[in-house]
Amino acid sequence: MTEPAVLVVGGGISGIQASLDLASRGIKVYLVEKSPSIGGRMAQLDKTFPTLDCSICILAPKMIECSHHPNIRLLTYSEVKKISGSAGNFTVKVLRKPRYVDEKKCTGCGICFEHCPVEVPNEFDEKLGMRKAIYMSFPQAVPRVVTVDKENCLECGLCESVCQAEAVDLAQKPEEVNLKVGAIVVAVGFDLFDPSEIPAYGYGRYKNVITALELERLLCASGPTGGHLVRLSDGRIPKKIAFIQCVGSRDIRFGNTYCSSICCKYSAKDAVLVKEHHPDAHVCIFYIDLRAFGRGFQEFINRAKSEFGIKFIRASPGEIIEDPATKNLGIWYEDTVAGRIENLVFDLVVLCPALVPRTDARELAKVFGIEIDKYGFFRASDNITNPVDTTVPGIFACGYCLGPKTGDIPDSIMQGSATAARVAEVLMEG
Amino acid sequence: MSELDLDFMRKVASTPRGRGVLSCIQCGRCSSSCPVARLITQHNPRRLMEMVILGLRSEVLPQGLPWYCLSCFTCLDRCPQGGDVGEVMFAIRNLAVKAGNVPAGVVAQARSLMDTGRVVNPVRSILDKRKSLGLVEIAPTGVDDVQKILKRTALDKLIQSR
Amino acid sequence: MKYAFFLGCLIPARELSYETSVREILPALGIEVVDMKGANCCAPFSIQSLDYASWLALAARNLCIAEEMGLNILTLCNDCYESLLMVNNTLKQNPNLKNRVNEILSEVGKEFRGKTEVKHLVDILYEDVGVDKIKNAVKEPLAKLRVATQPGCHLTKPKRLHLGFVKEFGAFDELVMATGAETVGYDRREMCCGGPLRDINDELSRSVARQKLIDIKNADVQGIVTVCPFCFLQFDLGQLEIKRHFKEEYNLPVLHFVELLRMAMGMKLRDWEIKSHRIPITNILKGRS
Repeated sequence: MTEPAVLVVGGGISGIQASLDLASRGIKVYLVEKSPSIGGRMAQLDKTFPTLDCSICILAPKMIECSHHPNIRLLTYSEVKKISGSAGNFTVKVLRKPRYVDEKKCTGCGICFEHCPVEVPNEFDEKLGMRKAIYMSFPQAVPRVVTVDKENCLECGLCESVCQAEAVDLAQKPEEVNLKVGAIVVAVGFDLFDPSEIPAYGYGRYKNVITALELERLLCASGPTGGHLVRLSDGRIPKKIAFIQCVGSRDIRFGNTYCSSICCKYSAKDAVLVKEHHPDAHVCIFYIDLRAFGRGFQEFINRAKSEFGIKFIRASPGEIIEDPATKNLGIWYEDTVAGRIENLVFDLVVLCPALVPRTDARELAKVFGIEIDKYGFFRASDNITNPVDTTVPGIFACGYCLGPKTGDIPDSIMQGSATAARVAEVLMEG
Repeated sequence: MSELDLDFMRKVASTPRGRGVLSCIQCGRCSSSCPVARLITQHNPRRLMEMVILGLRSEVLPQGLPWYCLSCFTCLDRCPQGGDVGEVMFAIRNLAVKAGNVPAGVVAQARSLMDTGRVVNPVRSILDKRKSLGLVEIAPTGVDDVQKILKRTALDKLIQSR
Repeated sequence: MKYAFFLGCLIPARELSYETSVREILPALGIEVVDMKGANCCAPFSIQSLDYASWLALAARNLCIAEEMGLNILTLCNDCYESLLMVNNTLKQNPNLKNRVNEILSEVGKEFRGKTEVKHLVDILYEDVGVDKIKNAVKEPLAKLRVATQPGCHLTKPKRLHLGFVKEFGAFDELVMATGAETVGYDRREMCCGGPLRDINDELSRSVARQKLIDIKNADVQGIVTVCPFCFLQFDLGQLEIKRHFKEEYNLPVLHFVELLRMAMGMKLRDWEIKSHRIPITNILKGRS
């Protein structure tokens, strides 16, 4: 007897789409998410390409639908620990980590974190800004409840004393939940390559060398600088900004020999956003190839050049040197079209790192019993004919955890819907 | 107008240490890292690879181009595609030598190697100084073996012919 | 720990104080070295540029000598290290090449078996001896001595050959700091000294060295510490050559790392050793007492 329910692991856009598609067909969905809120990477972005839509604005309605849908049960701040069984009948053990807050009582009013005395770096802001020990990951978090970071919590009890809903429960215990499902969808997404593995670019040593995701947080109105694009070293407005492509991608030295497939697109988008913030800024994109396939992307790049005056230079820079006084950055590169070796000084450098499997991907693969490919992404049972099936029947995957495809948001949504269709097939087998 | 040798890239790639040229995507990371390229415009590792790829044999082999490289391997470490420029440089040099292009300084070192087994040979005054300071006598170098090896590889003929 | 000692050409001919210093500090740190009899030139880059098979065979002959001694090789010069290490790896990984090289070596009664390892002095000091043991051996720390370090290209590049991060600048700097000296960072520290083009293209070799000296001078240090004898030559004798050709003076004394360590271990430098430095090191010595 097939269990008429589905487990979706990962609450990013791909997992959200899969959940909504399934739920709308009357199928019960358990959406498990490791972090305190669903939303994933898309919630961290400022605007999407090529339409320049506000990312959270198009994501939030789907997030809210997930939380309200009668067929979706959200299990955030939770992790899948064990599965057993087979297609049609899986038993899943989920660990609900204690948030030390009663989800049913918390109204998300925020009084608690106004009073909390502890400040720690905010993971959602890529550690560029701070959050409190009791916190909401971002203003549009779903579920709209706070979480206590027990590791940094002083247990001073201030939050408890100001909470009108009496929702704080510092004695909360972890809870194990056993779920019976007929199929599983894995949608855990990606991490970024750590550019400090390329010492020549100075990431981690030079304050004004940042990653594209850090830039998104600086551009975003809900970010650590309130949407003001400033340099991290001195808070000044940057006048000359460089983007460097293929940082860790297409790079045999780190095993990421693939093209991450979205960086050319998003860097053009980010360059345009930078120009919108600071129209007088001088913006350069250093690329090896410009990969802007698909509808609207080549056009977007053309606009970036002609309308916004963004310079595209065919060069992969050798090294970046910081001026210790100004913290400006000198980039050594060869303009391969002109055949000239140059050194140009910028005051902000944005690196576009490779998208790599999550650090916990290997462990997760073991839990599910699915295979991973040579890069560490989850392996499809056949890349051409069954691209969203994993190597275990009844377990499907979607989004970037499957590795680079065209990789943008519409793709992740499409794959989410694709897995919903595949799941429905399993569930309909009586 | 130089003549193109369409086989030149394959020739370099099949010379020992030259395989990397097949992987080059002309990104310029090597040239922008090269300490010599920043000092003189004649030397540019990316452009050298480009000329090999395009088959501009007559612009590469007889010229001074392959001989500015320091073999510091900075380019090699930074290349994302396994182009191994610093290694390809040796393949190009081996071919250049066969085509009769080799700087006098390199020949001089090879000659010293053949005559004494060493590239830098201590002069009489140094040997005396070592003795007076009580330093260990420098062991003889097995120069006979060196000469036999160089005869076997035919490098001796090349050295003697210059 | 015992090693087959590969001195190379340059040190015994032109940098005697490097040799004397090494022979004094190693026993004090528990390392025994046995001179390799009949070793030939390692076949540095100039020779490698001429012919591949000759390089492999010449370097392999030295590896065979060490194999016959039943010991691993200890090298001092970065170029010797790179050459021997590369050939050792290549022949170990490629049976075809190994066979062809052994055909050549059979003419001189040698056979490469792949039984030895090639180590650099920095390897030995960092891994075998260890920073802590060196700190304990230091009797007169060189406190407040600000130096720029030049590890040299062939100690750390190509990275894929030099497995692990022991040989990144970190390791060499840690050893220098173990003497009490303070290592000061400077721009383009991993840049080459220009050594490999010495006597082949002196103008270029000088220009490269000059760029290094400019960068080091900007860092406000009292001296330069080298580990490769070519780097030493480029900076020490090189400053006189640069003075003649560029009319510029840098007044940066250059010390071999082993001299620095020796002084820190309480073994004073002899007069002739001090005089062998073309840029006087008197200021560094004065600062000590």
